[in-house]
Amino acid sequence: MSVSSPARVLVVEDTPTQAELARVLLEGLGHEVRIATAAAPALAAARSWQPDAIVLDIELPDYNGLELMKRMAAEGIDAAIIVLTANASMNLAVEAMRGGAVDFIAKPYPRARLSVTLTNVLEKRALERESSRLKQANDALTSRLETLDRRRFHGFIGASPRMQAVYRTIESVAASRASVFITGESGTGKELAAEAVHKASPRAGQPFVALNCGAIPRDLLESEVFGHVKGAFTGATADRPGAAKLADSGTLFLDEIAEMPLEMQVKLLRFVQTGTFSAVGSGKVEKVDVRFVCATNRDPLLEVQAGRFREDLYYRLYVVPVELPPLRERGEDVLLIARHFLTVYTREEHRRFRGFSAEAERRLLAYSWPGNVRQLQNVVRNIVVLHDAERVEAEMLPVLLHRAVLAPVAAPPPMTAPPVAELPVAELPVAAPPVAEPPVAVSAAAAPEPVVYVQPAPPPVRAAAEPPPLPTLPPVPEEDVVMPLAVMERRLINAALRRTGNDVPRAAALLEVNPSTIYRKLQAWRSEGSAA
Amino acid sequence: MVEPGFAAQLAQDLEPEDIRLVLGVFHQDVERLTGVLDGNAAAADVGDFRRTCHALAGAAGAVGAVALEQAARTAMTNGDLLPAQLPAIAAEIRTQAAAALADMAAFLAALPQG
Repeated sequence: MSVSSPARVLVVEDTPTQAELARVLLEGLGHEVRIATAAAPALAAARSWQPDAIVLDIELPDYNGLELMKRMAAEGIDAAIIVLTANASMNLAVEAMRGGAVDFIAKPYPRARLSVTLTNVLEKRALERESSRLKQANDALTSRLETLDRRRFHGFIGASPRMQAVYRTIESVAASRASVFITGESGTGKELAAEAVHKASPRAGQPFVALNCGAIPRDLLESEVFGHVKGAFTGATADRPGAAKLADSGTLFLDEIAEMPLEMQVKLLRFVQTGTFSAVGSGKVEKVDVRFVCATNRDPLLEVQAGRFREDLYYRLYVVPVELPPLRERGEDVLLIARHFLTVYTREEHRRFRGFSAEAERRLLAYSWPGNVRQLQNVVRNIVVLHDAERVEAEMLPVLLHRAVLAPVAAPPPMTAPPVAELPVAELPVAAPPVAEPPVAVSAAAAPEPVVYVQPAPPPVRAAAEPPPLPTLPPVPEEDVVMPLAVMERRLINAALRRTGNDVPRAAALLEVNPSTIYRKLQAWRSEGSAA
Repeated sequence: MVEPGFAAQLAQDLEPEDIRLVLGVFHQDVERLTGVLDGNAAAADVGDFRRTCHALAGAAGAVGAVALEQAARTAMTNGDLLPAQLPAIAAEIRTQAAAALADMAAFLAALPQG
């Protein structure tokens, strides 16, 4: 309401002469006026008519104006109140002001005094209402912005547009029972996304059961999913529930679903279709209510086309796709995540780090992060373990990152089918039992233990005011040689294994991948070799 | 007697028609309240007597009837008011009320015809 527009004014006055004088004056000022001659009808009028202002006499026949003000405040009536008082009742006027009146007028009063006072209180009220409206609008916009521009979401850290889209998709699908299919390169946070789907869903209070299909030997996978009964196979000494049973009324996360053997895919399809299954060795059919979330770092459609993943299962599970972007496409998220890990590890390792130098940040941004968040996590952990200073300087970064600034590191290949075996595998170590990759947790709590890189003695920490020269960089071998990525990948893995004396975890650390990645590659190459 | 300053203020703030309206209500108030005051005095009800004086003072104050307002306010604020004193005080207030109404009639007669 603008101040110049007519206002609704309720006059609460039990003396007819006073009431009539007020009415005539107020109507002369262009306002709409109603009169109440006691407190109770005044309260009723304030409720129903919602006046902009109330001109209130304190002495009323039923209860006084101060009590009336209390009751109106309790009911949320926000009219501007002007108290009328005799000259001898100034103390009462002060009390009324403390009780919520905006102004007071001593009787008798001329029209000009009433006009100025009323204009002032209405203006103040209009400003308060506008302020309240703007605050509400601001709150709504802030809330909307937080939705559109969040830096954290259920353990994720990242404010990039790509991650905002991920957050929105997860939020949108969470309430549904629809299956979610998460894709993304290794280290992009697929398990974290699965957990986010669960936590944002109505099933949040129910179990979240994660199963890494690529880390479980194929002959044990059925038992892991559906459980077994005592005596079902050698070593089955007792009944054991599987992931399906444990996830009842919750969420079942099947990580690395593309690694699941075809014969197991048939059984999984039946389970997805009917919600029923039988434990290994049992004829009893059980029914559960689970929400499926799957993930793979491969292109699921390519896997279908190559015949490694059943098309019917694909269409059952690939209902809502969530594609996690690689870190190199997340812009300054790299810095947000790096700073987060720096804080976490600085605390853990009792170091002094407070941030990164501008040059160090530039190099972090310039690098392509083929191992994604997990690699960044490892790099930061490595720095914190090997150095101590107020600031991470550029020379504390691994050599790879220096190389990236001089010559941009090529992004890893897009998700593809497994490489074709070309090289002999005789020298390769026997594949150890696969190890599940830890989730790429970026929440402050319980960050997984990353690999600490072994690298040459760290340069001494120098004063921040005098940036040291960059270390001499090793030459990049065979930069101009072009070969299939799968071949290059195999060569690099072989080289790492040779250098470490076939120590897979150390080779994995050198390559900045998880050991399970190498174990899987070795197993795949061995299978292909024996099949050939 | 109607205070000349406030009468002038009324004349300045209101149209003659509105002044007549307000003073007409005042006239009714005075006649009603002086009657109530006599009843309070006859009943020796000091509390109601004070309340009626408060209403009369308010009405008189609104139109600038200073003498009537003062008489009513004095009675209203007298902490030692005794029931036996009420009829005399009511008579005094009635006298002031009659004077105020007479002054008011003169004031109205002097107003331009609307």
